[in-house]
Amino acid sequence: MINTIAYGLTIGAILFIISIGLSLTFGTMRIVNFAHGLVYTIGAYLIVSVLPIVRNNFILGAIIAVLAVIPISYVIERFVIRKLYGVSIDYAIIATYAVALIGIDAIKWIWGASPIPLSDPVGIDVHFFGITLPLYRLIIIILALVIFFALSVFFKKTMVGKIVVAALDDKDAVRSLGISVDKYFTYVFVIGSSLAALGGVLYAPITSVHPYMGMMVLLVSFAVVIVGGLGNIKGTFISAFVLGMVMAITGRFWGPAAETMVFVVMAIVLIFKPIEV
Amino acid sequence: MEKRNIIETKGVTIQFNGLVAVNGVDFSMMEGEAVGIIGSNGAGKTTFFNLLTGMFPPTSGAVFYDGNDITQVPPHKRVMMGMVRTFQLVSVFDSLTVVDNLILSVTRSREQQRPKGSFFFADARHPSVLKTCEEALATMGIEDKANFMTSVLSYGDKRKLEIAVALSLKPRILLLDEPFAGLGDFEIEEVSSIIRRVKENFSFIIIEHKISRIVDLVQRLSVMHEGRLIAEGVPAEVLRNPLVREVYWGKEEGLACSV
Repeated sequence: MINTIAYGLTIGAILFIISIGLSLTFGTMRIVNFAHGLVYTIGAYLIVSVLPIVRNNFILGAIIAVLAVIPISYVIERFVIRKLYGVSIDYAIIATYAVALIGIDAIKWIWGASPIPLSDPVGIDVHFFGITLPLYRLIIIILALVIFFALSVFFKKTMVGKIVVAALDDKDAVRSLGISVDKYFTYVFVIGSSLAALGGVLYAPITSVHPYMGMMVLLVSFAVVIVGGLGNIKGTFISAFVLGMVMAITGRFWGPAAETMVFVVMAIVLIFKPIEV
Repeated sequence: MEKRNIIETKGVTIQFNGLVAVNGVDFSMMEGEAVGIIGSNGAGKTTFFNLLTGMFPPTSGAVFYDGNDITQVPPHKRVMMGMVRTFQLVSVFDSLTVVDNLILSVTRSREQQRPKGSFFFADARHPSVLKTCEEALATMGIEDKANFMTSVLSYGDKRKLEIAVALSLKPRILLLDEPFAGLGDFEIEEVSSIIRRVKENFSFIIIEHKISRIVDLVQRLSVMHEGRLIAEGVPAEVLRNPLVREVYWGKEEGLACSV
């Protein structure tokens, strides 16, 4: 059981890292971004390709992979997402889904369709309280905590953060202060996409890397965002870990139901706390 | 000095899926003037504001500010040119404190002189910025609530904060979209007297559908009906206009007492 909890915490950490970008994009721009799963996948593939070049230095590889996603996400934001501000939410779903499909095909073309395994970059287990946990997973959990605190400070203490928080409340009112909201949306989008790519990088050694990995995780991420509250960092953090735990515990008893349970929880939350989009 | 038009529109029209919300409006006002726009719900008043402030681009026609065509200028740049607005549904940032709402606008308006902004929000809490914020709150009579979370303010106080924010942006022209909506009689009197007190400093347009509330605030009234501007002039004259009486009170005489 303790191992299940440890597994749930890892899933929760990864889910948080991926979902926060989705939550901020959804919360500020009111855009349902299916391309978010794509940048996660690209992150995973980039680490696969970069590792041999950097002689299996995982940290350096991860940094390169995440940095390489920044221009990609900027292009997606500039040429697709920005055209979708203020238009009906259906267009955003169709357009970003199209980007995701084009991206997946591009990945198949570049890297092939078969899954690529990646070994645990740390390879050491830690033992405590009678359980054995790969150190790598512990690092992921700690990293999620660090990202959570860093983002909380960023949104509380910096000018950009305050403006984004204000835009979550009312973006037209931010515009009416003479502030170019689009510029801040770009920052939010690039930060969110970079974190999604980091999620892909970190999860690559745990799962196998394949073109559709992003699509699977994306749906669970949407559940995290909806349960946690749009644009709510603390809510997303808690909801990611709760749903990660739901997946781990359900999976322990009946594997195929793990993801379904997440949506059951989401449905229950929606009954009691409907969201306004 | 010769006064000139601060705002002018030429044939502005906007359509949403076939619905013509604003239809060929020619409007102009002089610097320093105070104009009221009246009309029933759905007459196109707020949409007209959105066209002036650039929230939507017009389907056709042009908007001029200070003689320059600003039809393609994005909304935030229009604010920096001095065109400031408030919203029908009060728009303040609930997730920030009252004073933080003002800090955002005060620092923004100062960035014009000092374009390099602060990275940390704490740097923006400069004593001179805080002093300006306090003064702005004092003007609106809500200085004692500076450190409250905005979400706990009453609707009336939120409206006062919104106006304080708008004033702190140092408008050359202020567009007030139904500032009295949702307020009680006492608050309406308060907000109205504040507007009366500060209105000498800028030109302003006020949207309202209850004429009596603005008749002594403005020099000129424009009446909108079904997207068109159907009458303009000094209030007394406009209120005598048979077309205005018809669209506003119906054909029956004697209802004018509800003004």
